Amino acid sequence: MKISQLWAISSIVLAMGVSGTALAGKDVTMAVASTFTTMDPYDANDTLSQAVDKSFYEGLFGFDKDMKLIPVLALSYEVDSSGLVYTLKLRKGVKFHDGTDFKADSVKASFDRATNPANKLKRYNLYKNIAKTEAIDDDTVRFTLKEPFSAFINQLAHPSGAIISKAALEKYGKDIMFHPVGTGAFKFVEWKPTDYLKVAKFDAYWKKGYPKVDSILWRPVVDNNTRAAMMQTGEAQFTFPVPYEVADVLKKKSDLDVIAAPSIVVRYLSMNMRQKPFDNPKVREAVNYAINRDALVKVAFSGYAIPADGIVPDGVDYSVRFTPWKQDIAKAKKLLAEAGYPNGFETELWSAYNHTTAQKVSQFLQQQLQQVGIKAKVVMLEAGQRVERVESYADAKTAPVRLYYVGWSSSTGEADWAISPLLASDAWPPRLFNTAYYKSDKVDAGLKAALLTTDRAEKARIYREVQEELWKDMPWAPLVVEKLLYAKNKKLQGVYVMPDASFHFDEIDLMP
Amino acid sequence: MLQYVIKRLLGLIPTLLIVAVLVFLFIHLLPGDPARLAAGPEATPETVDLVRQDLGLDRPMSEQFARFIVGTVHGDFGKSLRTKRPVSSEIADRFMPTFWLTVWSMVWAVIFGMAIGVVSAVWRNRWPDHLGMTLAVSGISFPAFALGMVLMQIFAVKLNWLPTVGADSWKHYILPSIALGAAVAAIMARFTRSSFIDILGEDFIRTARAKGLPEKSVIAKHALRNALTPVVTMMGLQFGFLLGGSIVVEKVFNWPGLGRLLIDAVDMRDYPVLQALVLLFSLEFILINLVVDVLYGWINPTIRYR
Repeated sequence: MKISQLWAISSIVLAMGVSGTALAGKDVTMAVASTFTTMDPYDANDTLSQAVDKSFYEGLFGFDKDMKLIPVLALSYEVDSSGLVYTLKLRKGVKFHDGTDFKADSVKASFDRATNPANKLKRYNLYKNIAKTEAIDDDTVRFTLKEPFSAFINQLAHPSGAIISKAALEKYGKDIMFHPVGTGAFKFVEWKPTDYLKVAKFDAYWKKGYPKVDSILWRPVVDNNTRAAMMQTGEAQFTFPVPYEVADVLKKKSDLDVIAAPSIVVRYLSMNMRQKPFDNPKVREAVNYAINRDALVKVAFSGYAIPADGIVPDGVDYSVRFTPWKQDIAKAKKLLAEAGYPNGFETELWSAYNHTTAQKVSQFLQQQLQQVGIKAKVVMLEAGQRVERVESYADAKTAPVRLYYVGWSSSTGEADWAISPLLASDAWPPRLFNTAYYKSDKVDAGLKAALLTTDRAEKARIYREVQEELWKDMPWAPLVVEKLLYAKNKKLQGVYVMPDASFHFDEIDLMP
Repeated sequence: MLQYVIKRLLGLIPTLLIVAVLVFLFIHLLPGDPARLAAGPEATPETVDLVRQDLGLDRPMSEQFARFIVGTVHGDFGKSLRTKRPVSSEIADRFMPTFWLTVWSMVWAVIFGMAIGVVSAVWRNRWPDHLGMTLAVSGISFPAFALGMVLMQIFAVKLNWLPTVGADSWKHYILPSIALGAAVAAIMARFTRSSFIDILGEDFIRTARAKGLPEKSVIAKHALRNALTPVVTMMGLQFGFLLGGSIVVEKVFNWPGLGRLLIDAVDMRDYPVLQALVLLFSLEFILINLVVDVLYGWINPTIRYR
């Protein structure tokens, strides 16, 4: 009785504390481009929902603003010689929003939930390689994998790998997605899917002195111009993405900063290597020589991109730099003639997206290919068509995709997820996204070997060989690496768009 | 009269059932696998299968159909494939903002539109007519989203009088309802004008004038009432369209309404939401038609209901 009274009083005091500080008014509004799909990070597949979920959830590991791996709820880890068993020491003195202590049992509960296919979570795939999770004592947890996977710590750092309160999981069950309870700097307040998601400062947050603002209002605003207007009126302090055509308007405002951040979003043109004429390496080389990447950056991306200098973009662990392709029309024509197409050929160019930038890119590519005699018919695929014609097309032999404009960012910040889903031979659609239908025993073997070794130098050597092989085989015409354009009020500090288009806002603060 | 209304309401049920069947069939004909779309760009086939089971899309079509019909009859539309919230609450959250926006747009559009129409008809081919019809033509031809953006730029960004997004206070309603109502006002103006001009040439107007009634009374009492019938029809139609949520205006003002829900649902092939929305729109149209029919009788007592 006494304890519950005390509890009631303390929660009232806590509530008053929250509302008291809210009056002081460090409230930040962040305008983002689309509605959030879920507040359960294990069931989220869009970068945005995962970024926003970081308000209330933290993982064992995480990424800093430059996508460098950092420990968060874990302090350190050890891996045994077999590469199968990872033992993690956990941070002490961390509390969940529901008042319970963060201990190994919650880690176990979170990952047991994710690895159980009966829960039908969208991120099951990412964690299905965990055989079991054990709580050794309160602050030690041990993961045993089904097979060695040297990128495992990156996998834990992925924004979906959040630690959920065990008590809350037991209380809410499947409804945990509507009642997020984590250890993050902000507590969940209210979610009105059409309007906003509101989070407020968690006073018992383990990092002393943080967070420095009282609340964040995440506001999905679909229209680009409207988001820009909100920045100008001061209704929002942060917005992402900023469309290229609006950037100049916002740059003129003295109280706003427009920032072009480096990204790991690579855009490329894949060529179906199981079909004529793209089975011929000379044709693929000719396509690569036909395209002027510098002009593409200017025309379609208003300068906010850089010509692709590799298969895996800079910023992803183990990526290797190459010299970008330079346009050479004469050479391209010569290669086509040698391949038996002196007068070029007709083909189709599909774009995986139908937004304005993709339209500009496709038209530009069409015109560039035309110069060397390749007549490409452009088709902009809407999401449903893309799924039907490309991503879930079952038969590799008859796959209708030829030239395919698409992009990728490796959400684990690591080379395996940047290459395997796109170029391993077991990643052909409908399994994953090897739309070039590329198959190389050397690359396959390298990708497997890299996962078995935990030695950094050895891994770097293997990934270098794999990327050199890919650059030589040309299953793609790599095009550009995008820059991420965002705007913020000068008073807002400590908010960054990370290279994978997620947000980093641990140090968020609003100056007076 | 009451009997007529009840009869019409009963007639609603088979219509809605037919709509439900057609909607179900059409939606499942759309290309693209919703499980694949919901599972997201990084998913493997195993994940897609899990999602398919989770969403109940692995069941045979006949079973899905039976479930949909039984659910619909019980008022249960299932859960959104995207957010996993009940479809009924997804729609309920957005219905009122769209409804009130529609009402306010219609109110000002009808008042302005009819006033301009009457003035133009009475002063036909003189400057009030030219001015009114210029306004009307620009109202029809200026796209709503562009008008919305211009209004926002002037009144929110430059003057800072009104907020840009949200639907929390009466101030939030001003700009979107102007943007949304402009086209309706223009259509109403042109309709009222032409209908009024027809009526002004009728015999009974000449008779009214001949018996020495003042012009004001001729127009307000004899002409207006008779000119209203086609205008009311138009009003009903426009109201029905607006209730479906204006996609462009809702996008510009980030209005938490049905139009955006519809777009999101189509993009993600969110079958349950799409089905419920189409049913709702059909129901709205049928009800509005009924109201319009009843209004006819009130405007023109010679109309009989059977």
